[in-house]
Amino acid sequence: MTELTLLAAYGILVLITLLLQVLGSMRTLSMGYLMSARDEPREVGLMTARIKRALDNSITAMALFAPAVLLLEVQDKTDNASLLACQVFLVARIIYLPVYALGVPAIRTLAWLAGFAATAILYLLAL
Amino acid sequence: MSTELTVLALATLWQMVQFVLYALPANRELGPGYTMSARDREPARPMSDRTARLGRAFDNHTEWLLLFAIAVGVTELSGQGTPFTAACAWAYLIARVAYVPAYAFGLTPWRSLIWSVGFLATLLMLLAALI
Repeated sequence: MTELTLLAAYGILVLITLLLQVLGSMRTLSMGYLMSARDEPREVGLMTARIKRALDNSITAMALFAPAVLLLEVQDKTDNASLLACQVFLVARIIYLPVYALGVPAIRTLAWLAGFAATAILYLLAL
Repeated sequence: MSTELTVLALATLWQMVQFVLYALPANRELGPGYTMSARDREPARPMSDRTARLGRAFDNHTEWLLLFAIAVGVTELSGQGTPFTAACAWAYLIARVAYVPAYAFGLTPWRSLIWSVGFLATLLMLLAALI
């Protein structure tokens, strides 16, 4: 397992989150609306709204995580510490999704913090 | 430069074109007085449906470009580029170009089908890098 494998795995996690959001929207909104241009916004259910917020957060986290991994790879600066940081990031973000969807309060914040700290460490290692 | 990297550069240029396609009518409809302000309040008159669609299409591609860039970056750096991943990259770009008129003109169900092509192309590239 390398940092790149973990980055690819995170990409797939984001795609799964996206798919869950689409499937959740299909439960409350009609296919006719979903396939239209959605000119007037409509409300989705509580859990789908949470998955949507988790998705937005995961995309922001991805925009910060991916450059750090690519920087380390291009400079050949990967080591055990960077591998561990990537593993912590991925595990934290995997926990983040169901914990957000189920509305578990403190653990979600801790998982977010772990992912944030792991990303910050990757940048320190890359510099 | 590999096909995947070329397509990534083209996809990023396309995102800049998408920005212009959205920003020009948005400025015309809302007025530069509003768009150049800090936009603390909603504009007095909302933009047209078509311009709002171009804005949503732009936002959607911001997310996808990020996923696609990761798929290309992982493929390149691990030296796993194949004719298959090159075909996925082209499929992605063609789908994302077609997505904009499909959204702007409200083509149902084509917008959703075209979106799925971009989804699948990115997913297959990432899976190809992992296997």
